Amino acid sequence: MTQDPSQLKGKSLPPPRETSGAEALKALVTGFATTLKHLGRRPITEQYPEEKRELPARSRARIILTRDPDGAERCVACYLCSAVCPVSCISMQSIEGQGGRRMAAWFRINFGRCIYCGLCEEACPTSAIQLTPDYEHCQRAILKSVYEKEDLLVDHCGKDPDYNFYRHAGVATEGLDKGRHEKEAPPVNVRSNMP
Amino acid sequence: MPTLTIDNRPVTVPDGTKVITAAEQLGIMIPRFCYHPALGSVGACRVCAVGFKEGPIKGVEMSCMVDAQEGMVVATDDPDAVDLRKHVIELLMLHHPHDCPVCDEGGHCLLQDMTISGGHGRRRYAGAKRTHLDQDLGPLVQHEMNRCIQCYRCSRFYQQFCGYRDLGVTGIGTRVYFGRSEPGTLESPFSGNLTDICPTGVYTDKPSRFYGRRWDYERAPSVCIHCSLGCSLTVSARYRKAVRHEARFNAQVNGHFICDRGRYAYAYASQPERPRDALIAGRPATLAQAATQMSERLAAIEKGTGPDGIALMGSARSSLETQALLARLHSEKGWRTPCFSADDAATRVVSSALNTLNATNTIALTEIEGADTVLLVGADPIGEAPMLALALRQAQRDGSRIITVDPRPVTLPCAHDHIAVSGDDLATAVAHLIIGALEPSREIALDADQQDRFKTLKQETRDIPAAAELRAIGHALTTAWRPAFVCGTTVPDPDVPPLMGLLQALVQTSCMWSGLFFPLPGANTFGAHCLGGSDALFEPLLAAVEAGQVKALVVVENDLFSEYPDQQRLAAALESLELLVVMDCVPSAITARADIFLPTQTIYEAGGHYLNNEGRLQVATPVIAGGLSIMDTGGGNHPPREFREDIPGGTPRPAWQYVAGLATGETDPPDVKPLLDEALTAGVADGERVSLPSASREWPSIERIGAGPEGDAGGLTLIESAATFGSEPLAAFSTVLAELTPLFGVTVHSETAQRLGWRAGDRIVIPDSAPALEVVVTLDDRAAPGVLLVPRRIGIDRTALRRYMAHLLAE
Repeated sequence: MTQDPSQLKGKSLPPPRETSGAEALKALVTGFATTLKHLGRRPITEQYPEEKRELPARSRARIILTRDPDGAERCVACYLCSAVCPVSCISMQSIEGQGGRRMAAWFRINFGRCIYCGLCEEACPTSAIQLTPDYEHCQRAILKSVYEKEDLLVDHCGKDPDYNFYRHAGVATEGLDKGRHEKEAPPVNVRSNMP
Repeated sequence: MPTLTIDNRPVTVPDGTKVITAAEQLGIMIPRFCYHPALGSVGACRVCAVGFKEGPIKGVEMSCMVDAQEGMVVATDDPDAVDLRKHVIELLMLHHPHDCPVCDEGGHCLLQDMTISGGHGRRRYAGAKRTHLDQDLGPLVQHEMNRCIQCYRCSRFYQQFCGYRDLGVTGIGTRVYFGRSEPGTLESPFSGNLTDICPTGVYTDKPSRFYGRRWDYERAPSVCIHCSLGCSLTVSARYRKAVRHEARFNAQVNGHFICDRGRYAYAYASQPERPRDALIAGRPATLAQAATQMSERLAAIEKGTGPDGIALMGSARSSLETQALLARLHSEKGWRTPCFSADDAATRVVSSALNTLNATNTIALTEIEGADTVLLVGADPIGEAPMLALALRQAQRDGSRIITVDPRPVTLPCAHDHIAVSGDDLATAVAHLIIGALEPSREIALDADQQDRFKTLKQETRDIPAAAELRAIGHALTTAWRPAFVCGTTVPDPDVPPLMGLLQALVQTSCMWSGLFFPLPGANTFGAHCLGGSDALFEPLLAAVEAGQVKALVVVENDLFSEYPDQQRLAAALESLELLVVMDCVPSAITARADIFLPTQTIYEAGGHYLNNEGRLQVATPVIAGGLSIMDTGGGNHPPREFREDIPGGTPRPAWQYVAGLATGETDPPDVKPLLDEALTAGVADGERVSLPSASREWPSIERIGAGPEGDAGGLTLIESAATFGSEPLAAFSTVLAELTPLFGVTVHSETAQRLGWRAGDRIVIPDSAPALEVVVTLDDRAAPGVLLVPRRIGIDRTALRRYMAHLLAE
């Protein structure tokens, strides 16, 4: 907040305090002692890019689209990541893929906009979208920061080695019919009269 | 009018209002699954529980089952009720699959909302989930029974509300199953509404399957332009493509629902063949070049032949903006009066019908639901205006008697009396109804002049086979309390609407309420009529073209070939023109012949005002800016990585802008709203009916009643009439609706078939037809004998068909 200059009118600043010789000497010694102490220590600074630190697996940088343990794309293009993204850097188009699976026709992340908040990963119901520790993906040309689906897709499961959405979903897909998902009873015979 | 207190706020509601509806008036949305305002209460889902604190009822009750009563104190946040709702939701979620990410309902799912708001986050039951096999319900509705929560909305809507029987419920307990007895396409032309009323994702919209989420859609209120009723829609679009129509509540017109033709007709706007560039002599040109050349060449022709050498052709599917500016072009430049339909027979009937309407006898669609007798003459609701059939069904459910008088075997989703009368006898039939209403009863008083006229009417009226039956119905009409009169405008001749008006006026003196309802041939036929469109007929215009008086024709959003029966004559006439300018948003036989073609915007891009069949002014809001869909520009893959200032494929402009450019000579057109106000809608607000003339009790002239049928050597007549699918020029571009369009067929009475040597299922190959046309013979004894009934179908060789039928008639 700025002070009203009119209120300062007529008031003068207090005169500077005199410093004694002992005080000056103390300050000088303390300063040099700190310097001497650090002279004998190892430097904290890491010499990036010569030295590269291994980041924890959960640190948030470049985003990937993972595959399920059976090797199929995990992303079902449900639009939850693009909905939750605070900077709207994710866009996609969902289509019906082979065997009745819902999938992304295209999937685009604009890393020029991404703030690596990790909300997309949190929202993802299939563990498809994940943030990786790989932070080195600056580009000089801005369009190179726009990643398409083929740039994002990897051939591993990322941090979630087990989950396969379609084994739980209950929707019939190729090779996995109704009643054959986990924790599912066989389809009801509606023509039966038995209670 | 009891007053009750809901969440500490008082509200007064009419007697018989349910507590759930009373709460809605306060803006309190009590959770519900089975309750729907149109379907009523059944108390099946138990999720609308509220606490009744004081008054005649105490404790936790279902708010959809309790009538609001004086002194009630209701708490929606009553701890017991909240707890009950929480447990009910947990129970409903027991078998619900874990498939929200791949479910199209996700994002606008009532069950999702209720589960979250009910506080149910984790499944506690570890057992196996019940599963169901799904059915293929046709191209419109996707079935996924695992998601069902047994609210019964679908079967109640389908069977009780719509009157179709092929989808219903079977099984008991957890095995309750909603579907058909065998997989197959749903028979109801209202089946798309299942996707709207299902509170979860059992029925989802198949054409827009997996396309997007509700929150990503650009949505805007719009109007359906695929018949004349003008139902209210909400249009959803995404990435420059209209992908879904949903019903928007309109208490006067469509209520909560729409028909499948309106719901799935949007494909024309994003079809790959849609013309998006201006063409000069078939070659691409810029819009400016084409517009300049159009103005210059029209000016040159005007100089040579005078203003009479230029004719204007509008359309019943154009917005009022376009129609009004065409009318202004005529008044400013002196060019020929715009003609809005190439079907003169229909224009004549429309003209006489709309001149019959007045401020007191016009009724809205939903008012028909309250009628106790509905008389339909020459109207086939399912084909011409499907939502009218749904309104009739509601009337019939309340005990109303429905009577159809028609040469066609009219089918309705409700019980009705059908009287087969040949097309030329419809006026005579109405005359018999009038005689029946006046003859034995003394309830309707006539003055001396009217007595005289009635005497003439009686003498002039010929005897027809159904005369006695019709007179009995006419008499029954005088005892009805709330009779409604519906008259078609394509099959009857122009004498019928005024006679219907007379019948209504006579009956009105002896009943509480009555009204007239005319389904019209086009979405904005009423607008065209108001702008003088009924005065200009197409036949004289065509003759003037053939005589060389008209050198230039400007056709706006009208495929003349689908309206005018003699396609060869039309083609020859267009060939003789010096200049043919066509403006349209869809490809057609006429766009291919244009010397100058200008691409126009669709209703999704341009919006516009429309007058429905009762003269209600309705607004369509633009949804998208236009241009090719991203799915097209990217070829199915990601959007192209190029930057440009314009939208690819975004050249089309609203048709009225081109017309305005011709009128004022400017390229930047003026705002059309003031123009509209001055032309016809002065002082009329959106959603209101335009002012109609006050009632007159003049008897219409009745010269032609006695004339009898004409030109029917051998007693055969050909009737071409609208069918639910395949007849409407824009909806005909929808590929999903094309799947539902039946094989092209002719329907005849079995006696007539015998005379012609036809048997049911015979396939007649029409000679010299291009594309080759095959007609399947269907027998129906509810049709009038001697009538050959074919559906109006876009894209068939009507000339060859008519030639063949004329040859049959001549024999």
